[in-house]
Amino acid sequence: MDILEEITEILAEILDIENNNISPETYLIRELGAESIDLLELAVALNSRFKIDVNDDEIFLRKLRQYVTEAEQQDKDILQYLAEKLPFLMHKRLEEIIADLEGGPTLRVKDLISYVERQRDGN
Amino acid sequence: MKFTGNRALILGGSCDLAITLAQCMIEAGLFPILTYRSEKGREYISENLKNCTKKYSSFYLEFGNHDSIDSLLQQIGDEIDFMVDFAQGNFESLVASADVDRIYSYFAENVSFRAEVVKRVARIMMKNKRGRLVFISSSAAVRPNPGQGFYAAAKLASEAIYKNLGLELGGHGITAITLRPGYIDSGRGGRFIRAHTHEVLNKVPIKRALTKKEVAETILFYLSDSATGFNATEISMDGGLTAGK
Repeated sequence: MDILEEITEILAEILDIENNNISPETYLIRELGAESIDLLELAVALNSRFKIDVNDDEIFLRKLRQYVTEAEQQDKDILQYLAEKLPFLMHKRLEEIIADLEGGPTLRVKDLISYVERQRDGN
Repeated sequence: MKFTGNRALILGGSCDLAITLAQCMIEAGLFPILTYRSEKGREYISENLKNCTKKYSSFYLEFGNHDSIDSLLQQIGDEIDFMVDFAQGNFESLVASADVDRIYSYFAENVSFRAEVVKRVARIMMKNKRGRLVFISSSAAVRPNPGQGFYAAAKLASEAIYKNLGLELGGHGITAITLRPGYIDSGRGGRFIRAHTHEVLNKVPIKRALTKKEVAETILFYLSDSATGFNATEISMDGGLTAGK
């Protein structure tokens, strides 16, 4: 089973939804309606399933808007600043996120996959 | 009494009450895991539970020391069914005369660090989809004497952490309560009672201090299946001390 399949299975169980409603592009909060208690359960399940440390603030991009504000206040390049703070996300994904900020919480399933991959590789 | 689970982490495990609880747990078929913060504490546990070898374990945990919680959780693994929290540093000072650095360190150790321990243990319990936590507070949390302001504040803050845990995770099989014992004839409290017998017992409607055995048995009850309806609440066990003026 690959990471996507495992995460899909976990999410389907926690949110009580069908697996086929979930793809890498799916938004966890905007589309699936995940609440804070669901995200906590998800963090615990990812830790248990993949044997990785999970920092809830990082994986769920909780400080994203704070980082954007900090970059603006410090007159820093936002993309570069985010890349330093959220090193598990690729440049292209960070661009997507910045363009998507107005639409609400940007967290997608593929961000979880990137986080798990990075933690598993020990980076 | 029936229990769902077996392994019980006891924080502050070298106090007399914790050791009495561990003995009650062993008799009830549970496996207590006691924490101590000094070699003296380890020896005290070992001496008092010498007839129970292999029926308990003990580990170092010092509130405020992050390495010690990492090490503890690594050693005991992902099997914690119960947690009873006796740990509490002592800090007696009038508010207006307290050392400022000590104020900060006291709350870091007795509130922030406790919150970290509760968080981490709760996440372990979430994996197992069950868990029961009992925080041992004190009637002094709601009825402090002069000099007990910081102790009371730390206890009340900790009670709030446990209460919210029960509120947030009750639906996930993890429940928590606070027990507020009054005067107990044990340890520091026992010495205080003996020094001020008349004055102390006069305030308690049942006219006696609690025994450590009865408090330990009460805690055991609150860990049992019959008591899981008690959640996210504080229970006074003080002989009526805090009920009247």
